[in-house]
Formats: sequence, C-alpha cells, structure tokens
Amino acid sequence: MAGVGPSTSFRISPVDRRGRKIDPAVLAAAEEIIPRAVSHGMKLLGDLAVIANLLEEAAAVVSRRLQSDPSLILNLPGYLLVCFVKKVNRVKRRQVVTVSLSEAVLPKVAWADPSGQLYTKILFDEFLARCDFITRDMASLRMAGYSWAEIGRVHGMSAHSAEERVRYVFQQVRGKLKI
Amino acid sequence: MAEPKRGKDIKEEEFFAFGKSYLSEAFPNPQRIGCPPDSELTSMAEHPNEAAHSIVSQHLTCCSPCFNRYMELLAELKKRKTE
Repeated sequence: MAGVGPSTSFRISPVDRRGRKIDPAVLAAAEEIIPRAVSHGMKLLGDLAVIANLLEEAAAVVSRRLQSDPSLILNLPGYLLVCFVKKVNRVKRRQVVTVSLSEAVLPKVAWADPSGQLYTKILFDEFLARCDFITRDMASLRMAGYSWAEIGRVHGMSAHSAEERVRYVFQQVRGKLKI
Repeated sequence: MAEPKRGKDIKEEEFFAFGKSYLSEAFPNPQRIGCPPDSELTSMAEHPNEAAHSIVSQHLTCCSPCFNRYMELLAELKKRKTE
C-alpha cells in the first residue's frame, strides 16, 4: 500500500493493494512520473490516497505487461503514465454525475434518461475504456459525422478496416457485459 | 414504461449519437481543470498521433467543453476538405 505523506507526494510500495508485485524498473519509472501523475490526478480526483492506489495498480499492470513484452522498457515512464491516466479517467467517469430533476424527466437529454439509455451508457463507458488511441479517435470522427471512408483516409486504412476496427471493440464490450 | 434497449438492439448510429450527447453534456468541467490548450486539440484534429495526443484523447472522454470544441474542429476540418 502506498505511503501518503502530508505533502503532495507519496512513496510507491513494491506490492499493490491486491498483492501484485511491481517490477523494480517499473517502480523507478513510477517514482519518476509521480509529480505529473499527482498533478493530473489531483485536478480530476482531488484525493492523493486514491491517486497513489491507482498509480500502484497501473504499475502492477505494467509490470505484468513488461514480462510478456520487454520492449516496453524503452519508454516505461510514458507507458506507465498513459496507463495511469486511463485508470484516473475511468474512475472519474464512474463518479456520480448529478442531474437536475427537470433534465432527468426530459427525454431530449438522451444520456440522462434513466430507463431507455441505461444499457447504452454502460456499453459506451466500457467501449471508451477498451478503445486504444486510434479506435477512440475513429469513434470521435464518427460522432462528428465522418463517413467510414473519410475516417479510413484520416488513419491510412480502408473504410472497411476502419469500420471493422470500431465494430470489433463494440462486439468485445457487448460480449463481456452480455448486454 | 418502455423496455430499456439491450446491446443487440442498439444500432451503430444510435450508439454514436448517444455517445455524442453523453460526452457533450455529462462532464461540464466549469473550471476547465486539466484542459489542454486549443492548439493541442487543433493539432490532434489535423494530425492525430498517439505519441503526441494520448493524454488529450483521454481527457476528451471526461471533459464536455473540450469534447465539444474537438467536435467543432473536426466539423470545420471536414467542411474544409469537402470545399
């Protein structure tokens, strides 16, 4: 478990709260990115203890990944930071969003409709969490009204490949959530 | 009460329309905490690159003002390309 000090810093433990070991190289990378991680995490979550836990979890995940892909060592701090940011954003997205009653009863606010859009919201949150950078950007382009052909051109692939890439993640999420 | 839609009933168009509505309104961020400068959003809209824009891309999933600005930039870019 991380030791949280009185300042805006903390120490990373070599074992995360779930008992997963953190590789010494990843531990060193974690120490290196602490200032940036704290800065980003405090802006979004505002809780140093949560940030410390998330950084440890990210370090444990990266340690496991490092065993299967030693080339990660080339940019370990960068990879770890991205992993940490994903975890912070995931926690942020799961925080309760307060909605005024008038918004909740107005069907025009699609995301706030508690019944009809429940599954879509769950699917969409998980979809975002599972997307890599390119797939997420493709989804943004789609939301901005781009055709698959245009999206394919932006990312240097065919319309079919672009569509399949996004659809694959969608199907994976649906399969995982069984909804 | 209408039955909630299950995954298999959700069409792609509907899914992304929902996503746009959700991301554009659910994360107000009035103090603009953690927002990147406009130049970074523009750069990502024009030349999306994982190494340079990974954190910005993550930020867009939890900041409605930035997401809306990114949508505007993409729309402008699309318009410019078709002209």
